[in-house]
Amino acid sequence: MDIDVTQSTEVTVVSPKGDLDMGAADQVKRTLAGLIGQGQSRLVMDLGGVGYIDSSGMGVLVAAMKQARAAGGDVRLCALQEDVRAIFEMTRLIKAMSVHPTRQEALASWR
Amino acid sequence: MTRPGADSTFSMTSESGELVRLRKWLRNELTGHGVPRQDQSNLLLAVGELCNNSIQHAYEGLGGQPIHVSVRSSDEALTIEVEDFGKPFESEQYEPPHFEAIPESGYGLFLVKTIADNLSVDIARERGTRWTIVKYRPGCGPAAGTQGGALRS
Repeated sequence: MDIDVTQSTEVTVVSPKGDLDMGAADQVKRTLAGLIGQGQSRLVMDLGGVGYIDSSGMGVLVAAMKQARAAGGDVRLCALQEDVRAIFEMTRLIKAMSVHPTRQEALASWR
Repeated sequence: MTRPGADSTFSMTSESGELVRLRKWLRNELTGHGVPRQDQSNLLLAVGELCNNSIQHAYEGLGGQPIHVSVRSSDEALTIEVEDFGKPFESEQYEPPHFEAIPESGYGLFLVKTIADNLSVDIARERGTRWTIVKYRPGCGPAAGTQGGALRS
């Protein structure tokens, strides 16, 4: 899976491209844990390039959200495709996590 | 459209890298059987979760082990079976996720049960587990809400 990371002093945007399934979950987990470990706990996860996510992928996002919140930040999601959003609704994570329609709105939520 | 009653089988081995190939095959099958797009996406997820279960739990991460997925359709329903030959599923250990705690795991089987109109598991075999998902076609089957979540063994 390709993962773009755009860092700034305020917020870091992570944009994975592809399917966030069991095969990609470890890579995303390492990326997010690495950023939070470096003190970048204010994260926006742009899921616009993710057309499929399974429970492994969701578990990685929940774990990162908990790590980030413990460090004073958060993992805020944006640009969920319809199928991905449906899974977040089924698992009720749509209410537990901070979810925004667009990247701009997710970034604005930090200001 | 694929002929109703036709039974197609996909074979893969127990590596997560195989899941992409599985989804491509299954999407084509479901399209061929005239399954609506949203149901297709849900069934891709449900079958993927059962295969994840086979890889992680039945085979405990050991690669190269067989997993078979078959699709059969009728005018009323689509039936999908996922079969492995590893450690049998322990249904008495299944617990639905405690949503208020926002768990990091445990969503997989919950999603399968939510998506399937009927879900059964056969562990009375020499080895392994065979899951059967039934998804009724729109307007067919028992009234919505009476079947989802059922787990029969």
